[in-house]
Amino acid sequence: MKWAAVLGITTILVIITLREWPKLRPEMKREKAAFAILTILDGTLAFLLVFYPDLPGPTQGLDAMTKPLVKFFGNLMAEWSG
Amino acid sequence: MVESGKISASQAGKLLYLTVIPTAILTSPAMIFKVAKQDLWISPILAWSGLITVFIALRLHRMFPGENIIQAGERIIGKFLGKMVGLIFPLFYLYLNGIVVREYGEFVVGALLVNTPLIVVLGSMVLVCAIVVRGGIEIVGRFAELFLPAFITLFLLIIVPILPDLNISNMLPVMGEGIAPSLAGTFVLQLWFSEFITYSFILPFVTDQKNAAKSIMFALGAVILTLVVSNLATLLLLGGLTGDYAYPFLILARYINLAEFFTHLESLFMAIWVLGAFVKICAFFYVTVLSAAQWMNLSDYKPIVYPLGFLLILVSLWVAPNYQEMTRAISTSVNLSIFTVFVAIPVLLFGLACVKKAVHKNKNRR
Repeated sequence: MKWAAVLGITTILVIITLREWPKLRPEMKREKAAFAILTILDGTLAFLLVFYPDLPGPTQGLDAMTKPLVKFFGNLMAEWSG
Repeated sequence: MVESGKISASQAGKLLYLTVIPTAILTSPAMIFKVAKQDLWISPILAWSGLITVFIALRLHRMFPGENIIQAGERIIGKFLGKMVGLIFPLFYLYLNGIVVREYGEFVVGALLVNTPLIVVLGSMVLVCAIVVRGGIEIVGRFAELFLPAFITLFLLIIVPILPDLNISNMLPVMGEGIAPSLAGTFVLQLWFSEFITYSFILPFVTDQKNAAKSIMFALGAVILTLVVSNLATLLLLGGLTGDYAYPFLILARYINLAEFFTHLESLFMAIWVLGAFVKICAFFYVTVLSAAQWMNLSDYKPIVYPLGFLLILVSLWVAPNYQEMTRAISTSVNLSIFTVFVAIPVLLFGLACVKKAVHKNKNRR
């Protein structure tokens, strides 16, 4: 099942690349670099998520950053709403 | 210039209305009810974050014509810091859009397409949105214009048939515990109202600038009115049960029973939701793509639409393991980070711009 997902992800990324790459003219170096970096990032993240579905995500990052404030506002809201 | 398309002020207003309202109708009644109880319909009227963000978007555009908040930020706080702040916006829009896409998927799978895998629902929506976004701001604006009448008609088709069943005593006592509970409700609502900062990214492409302020104020008023109506209808029908449902407005649509003939009208609500979510996802996706392309100094944003769309699907699956966990995050950490990125940072930028302008004036006078 996991290898099917890997195959599917690879197929999608290859299709996107085949569609977009010919449209990039030779002088568009920045665009080519941006496209390549984003596609590689897509592939890496997708494979990571397939094999480690419990990978800590952006939500956990925000949770950790806002923990003290959330507690403070939670108490305030509880007080206000009675 | 990354974008060559232009839209009219009225299209921009309609786009913003449809960007803010869909998810607000869906989940806000239950979320506000938890803090504001029977005063939940007063909270939208008091929503301050909408006014702040609209004001800042308009004033910043007047100070730096033709530039969105990121480009203006680079001028206000310098190239390096501006780039740092400029990276926050595309990343945060991507993350927020991931949440919206996931909400859309969870709702469609939970209420209608029970046996369809989540990834199919998410993937098809993101694919359609990517095609639209690739077409540019004009296409996004026209879709908003096209869908708004349908959206409002369907909304009224749900509200009007239940009018006879509404029970006014459910809203009593009005402000029984003073204004504090409804004020606490505005902190929940700022999740949606602060999304009006998206206007800052749309403004540079508006052709008739003199109507821009009018149309956005109209959109803000329409959002407030729609939320008051939907929250009031939910409260008057469901009373104290409002907070117990994940999607109270869906219960309203299910409740409709006209002469034993028109029943199970939740498909109406599903139509509203799909139309609204489509425009919302398109608008956020467009801002993500545009600001990412500007950040990387690309000459064209089209090449990165599909890679970012794929990333959007990944993010939407990555934001939370399940719906309950996501709802918890939305009302706590996501709410605070939306406030930081969409209200606090723009307010800071605007304040600095004002100070800079005043200092500059003083220097010239001497």
